[in-house]
Amino acid sequence: MVSPEERGLIEGMTMRRRLLRKGEELVSQHSQPSESCIVLSGFTAREVVLDDGKRQITALHIPGDFVDLHAFLLKVMDHSVVALTDCEAAYVPHRELLRVIDRSAHLGRLFWLSTVIDGAIQRAWITSSGRRAATAHLGHLICELYLRLQAVDLARDGTFSFPVAQGELADALGFSLVHVNRTLQELRATGFVRWKGSTITILDFDGLAVLSQFDPTYLNLITLPR
Amino acid sequence: MPRYFIDSSDGTFSHIDSEGIELAGDDAARYLALDALPDMVREVLPDGDRREFAVCVRDAFGKVIYSASLTLAGAWRDRGTPEPENGPLLDL
Repeated sequence: MVSPEERGLIEGMTMRRRLLRKGEELVSQHSQPSESCIVLSGFTAREVVLDDGKRQITALHIPGDFVDLHAFLLKVMDHSVVALTDCEAAYVPHRELLRVIDRSAHLGRLFWLSTVIDGAIQRAWITSSGRRAATAHLGHLICELYLRLQAVDLARDGTFSFPVAQGELADALGFSLVHVNRTLQELRATGFVRWKGSTITILDFDGLAVLSQFDPTYLNLITLPR
Repeated sequence: MPRYFIDSSDGTFSHIDSEGIELAGDDAARYLALDALPDMVREVLPDGDRREFAVCVRDAFGKVIYSASLTLAGAWRDRGTPEPENGPLLDL
């Protein structure tokens, strides 16, 4: 929980807001940013692009995610962050982050927690990529996105908007495009999920969670002292 | 850009592409079709000794312009030791 004083510190941070078009980079690979960005609206992705143009999306970020807290300590970026939809981001100078952390060790730990959870999500994704069947992999991602979006009031009654192209989904799952379509069809056939245009509706969360062996522990959505 | 439809089958589950995708040309469509084969194989194997995986590309008029298949043909040649009853299938 954040105290009123801590909330004041956060709200008092100088930041610049920036609107990004779909496809624009929020942060570029090999750059040395002097600020870190929070997504205010839209979907963004962390991506690594190989020489032959093949791309792996290693993380999806939703509004409220401090997508680029890593740069504060990493200095030189080993990957890019790109807008999957039109987005708004707030860029916080690193000296502001330093100021806030110096004033509140607790906020410093919460920033740390944010990157630790990013790591936990990455573990879940690696497990999916390496070991889950395709329907379970996609189902797991849908369960995860739903809970994350629900935590920031962007999903309710099983429904959320996910305006991401199938090619991007393929790059996030590590599937070929045709395999994404096959997997979508298989997943629809289970009756657990409806996917129409950019709207996903989970008709049976428990069923989907069992199919995908989804255990939400890694998302750390519990309130505990940190 | 022309539209292509890529159908696929892993021998059990067939996917008929009803949405299609716009691509630069025939070679890109062939690439996408072939790219699907290893994914389908990884998804279902090991599962038996016989299976055929197939993909085909239709153009915007529904004409099949490319097809490919991958066949699994497994058979015992000289089977030695069977697993003990109720033993593990793999004990590496």
